[in-house]
Amino acid sequence: MAVEVNKGLARAIELYQDRSSRAKELRAEGKHVMGYLCIYPVLEMMTALDIVPYRIFGDLHEPVTEADSYMPAVNCPFLRSCLDLGLKGKYDFLDGFVTSHICDVGSTLSGIWIYAIKPPFSHHIDMPHTLHDTALTHQKGLLEDFRKALEDHVGKKMTTEALQAAIQAHNEQRALVRELYELKKLDPPLISGAETVQVIKAIESIPVDEGKQLLREVISEVKERKNGPQKKSARLLVWGSIIDDTAMMEMIEGLDANVVMDDTCVGSRPYFEDVELTDDPLNGLAQHYMEDIKCSRTFRVNNYMDAKKDYMKDLEFRFSYLKDYAEQWKADGVIMESVRYCDTHGYDVPGVRDYLDEVGLPCVYLEHDYTEGALAPLRTRVQGFLEIIS
Amino acid sequence: MTQETKPRALNRLKSMYELRAEVDRMYEGGVEASEEGKPVAWVMLEGWANAILNAMGIKTVFPENYSSLCAAQGMAEPFMERSEAEGWPSHLCGYARASVGYSARMFELDGKIPPEAPGGGMPKPTLMVASGQTCDARFKWFQSLGRFFDAPVWTLESPSPGTRERLSPETYERNVQFLVKELKAFVAFLENLLGKKMDWDMLEFTGGGTNEINRLRWEINELRKSRPGPMHTRDFWSVMTAALFRGAADPEVIVEGHKRMYDEVKERVEKGIAGINRPEKYRLAFEGLPPWHTLGFLDDLAERGWNFVIESAYRPFRPRDIDLSMIDDPMERYVRRQYRSLEESLHEDYEPDEVEIIKNEILCDGMSSRLGLKHISDYQVDGVVLHVLLTCRATSAGLNLLQRKILDVLKVPSLVIEGDIIDASAFNAPEALRKAEAFEETMDHYRKVRKELGMPW
Repeated sequence: MAVEVNKGLARAIELYQDRSSRAKELRAEGKHVMGYLCIYPVLEMMTALDIVPYRIFGDLHEPVTEADSYMPAVNCPFLRSCLDLGLKGKYDFLDGFVTSHICDVGSTLSGIWIYAIKPPFSHHIDMPHTLHDTALTHQKGLLEDFRKALEDHVGKKMTTEALQAAIQAHNEQRALVRELYELKKLDPPLISGAETVQVIKAIESIPVDEGKQLLREVISEVKERKNGPQKKSARLLVWGSIIDDTAMMEMIEGLDANVVMDDTCVGSRPYFEDVELTDDPLNGLAQHYMEDIKCSRTFRVNNYMDAKKDYMKDLEFRFSYLKDYAEQWKADGVIMESVRYCDTHGYDVPGVRDYLDEVGLPCVYLEHDYTEGALAPLRTRVQGFLEIIS
Repeated sequence: MTQETKPRALNRLKSMYELRAEVDRMYEGGVEASEEGKPVAWVMLEGWANAILNAMGIKTVFPENYSSLCAAQGMAEPFMERSEAEGWPSHLCGYARASVGYSARMFELDGKIPPEAPGGGMPKPTLMVASGQTCDARFKWFQSLGRFFDAPVWTLESPSPGTRERLSPETYERNVQFLVKELKAFVAFLENLLGKKMDWDMLEFTGGGTNEINRLRWEINELRKSRPGPMHTRDFWSVMTAALFRGAADPEVIVEGHKRMYDEVKERVEKGIAGINRPEKYRLAFEGLPPWHTLGFLDDLAERGWNFVIESAYRPFRPRDIDLSMIDDPMERYVRRQYRSLEESLHEDYEPDEVEIIKNEILCDGMSSRLGLKHISDYQVDGVVLHVLLTCRATSAGLNLLQRKILDVLKVPSLVIEGDIIDASAFNAPEALRKAEAFEETMDHYRKVRKELGMPW
C-alpha cells in the first residue's frame, strides 16, 4: 500500500511539529547535518559541501532544567532553552555546531555547548559589529577560516562553482519566501502569521532544494484554498527578537487582527535580500550577512565620518524599511516584541518607537519570558492596543 | 576607663586614597574642558581608545564609571527610574540605565549638568566612543543616546574569536591587521572631527604610560599572592578606576601613585600585614563586577575573616618586553604592544607540559577546563564569590559553568550571590550574609579535600 506523503502546509506542520524527522533520515543516509544558531552562520557554505544546515531552536513548552547548571536564569530564555534541549540530547543527531557572534549570551552559549555537549565539529564566526570597510574585510577573512574548517571536516574542497551554485539555490529560496509574503498583502492575507512561522521553521530543518519545493507547494496551495485566514479589523506588523513558536502569533491572531508582515528572524529577516553574486563569492556573502540582514546586533549608521548626529535621520536610515513594509502590506500598527533579557533589541526599543511615532504608525511593546504562561497578560495589552488603533 | 574602639574590618591602603582622588579630578577636568570649549569624549572602558583620544587632546570621561560613582553615593536610582520612564527596558545594563537617565536630565536642562549629579557630573559629550569589546551594551547604549545628544558615535571594533580559533597564528595576524586598520579609521574620524592631525609621538607617550601603569599594577598583584593577602579587593577596585578610567590625567601622576602603592604593599608583605584588620580565616576570589551600591557588604565579610585577595574583573595583563623597533607603523607598534596571541599567553602563564595539555584540550574539545582558573590556584583561594548580575549578561552568562570548573578542577567551592552592579534593589545583603555563614563549612570541607588530594593549599 502506498504511503501518502504530506505536501504543502500539511508537510510544513508535520516538520514544525517534528523538526528532526527529515534530518535524522538524512543522517542515516550518511549526510552531514550541521546545527547552527541564529541567522548569521553562512548557510551557502554548508550547502556547497553538501552539508544540510539545520537551525537550532528552543521549545517554549519545555521547562528549562538542565541548562540551569550551566547558565543563570538572568539570560535570554530562548538561548537557555536551546542549551537545555542540547543538554537533554535532543540535538545529538547533528554532526556539527556552528555559531556566530550574534550577542553576548549567544557567544557564551557557543563555548558552553562545545564544553558540555562536545559536538563532533564546531566553529565560531567572530562576526564584527559594525559595517566599517575594515569590518567587511575582516568578515571575509573569517569566512575563509570557516571554509577551511568545513573542508577539513568533510574531507573535500569547496569549489567556487559549488559555492556559486549554493548561493543561487539559497537566493531562489529567498525569492520564494518573498513570493509567499506577497500573498500576505491581500486582505485577508492568504496565509496567517502562525502558518508563516510553521513554514519558515520547516524550511530551516531541511535541505535548501527540499525547502524550495515545500515553498512552491505552500504558495500554490494557499492561492487556491477556501479556508484561509479570516478578514480582521486590524493588520499588524511584528518587529523584534525571535518568535519560533506559533503561540505568540496565535495569541495576536486570536484577537481581531491579522499579522500581515514581520521583521523577525523566523520570518522575513533572513530572506528579504539576496546574496549578490560576486566573482569571489565570499565578498557577496560577507556583504550580505553583515549588511543586508537588519538585526539589532549590528551597529548601523549612515555615514561613519559624520561630525554630528541627526537623531531622526539616523532612525530613518536604520528603520525606514519598517515604514516601507507597513505601506506595502498596509499595516495599521506595529507590535514590537522581545524576549526578556534580549539586550540588542532592548536598546533599540526607544529608537524604533520614536521612529514609528514620527511616521505615524501606532505601536506597542511586549516583553515576554519565552513561556506559554507569559502570553496571557500580553493578550490584554494587545487587545487594548487594537482598541486604540481601531 | 576608655572603651577600646575596634578598628574597621578593612585595612585600607593609604596610597589608595591619593589615587582615588585622581578619579574625582578626571570628572572635574572634564567639566573644565567643556567650559573652556575643548572637546570631551564619553568613552567605554576598553584597551585602545583612551590613549588615542588623549594623544589628540580630547578629554575623556567614562559613563560606566560615572554610573558606579552614582551607585556608590546612592544616587543611581533616580536616574534608572528616569530611564524606564523614557522607555528603556528595565533588564538593560545598570551602568547604561543610570547613564540614560542622566542624559535625559541633561537634555531637559538644554545640555547643562543636572544640579543633583554627584561628583560634579559629566559634561555634554562632543563625541562618544563605543566599543565592540566585551558586551553588546557597550555599543548599543551610546547608539541609543542619540535621543539626547547630537554627538557622533564611533564604535571601536575589537576581535573576540572562539577559543579554538584563537589558537591559530593566522587568526592572530589577521586580528592585528584588523585592529591596526580599525584604529587608523578611528584616527581619521577624529582628525576630520577636530580638524587636526594625530600627534604620533604623543601616542607613543600616552600608550607608553598605559603600559607602565599596567606593569606596576601587575607587580602589585604579584605581591598580593602573599599570606596574609596585603591588599583587599575593595582597594583594588578603588585604584583600578584611577588606572583605567584616568581620563586625560598625566600618566606620570598615575605611575607615581602606583609606585607608592607598590612600596606600601611590599612593606605590608614584609611585615605580614593583611588587607583586613582581622585574622585571615579564608582567602576569597571575587568573580564578576562589583556591587557598587553596597560595597560595605565586603566589610561585613571581612569581619568574619574573609579576605578577598584577588578578583576577576579589571585585572592587569602580564607585562612583556617586546622589540618592536623593526615596525615603522606607529599604530602597528601600538597594537602589537598590547595584543597578544593565545599561544603567547599560554606560554607566559603555564608550564610547558601544561601548555601542551591545554592546547590539545582546545583542539579536541574547543576549550580547556583549565583556562580562566589560574588566578584561583595562584592566590590559593579557599572560596569564590560569584556575583550573578541581573543586568549584565556578559559577565554572568558563563558563571555557572565556571562554578563547575573551579570545583571539578581545583576543588574550590563557590558561593553564588545574585545582585547587580548599580541596582541596589536587586541585592539582598542580609540574605547574602546568611549564605556566607553556611558557606564557611563548605570551604572548610574542601580544604580537607584538597589536603587529602595532596594539593598545594
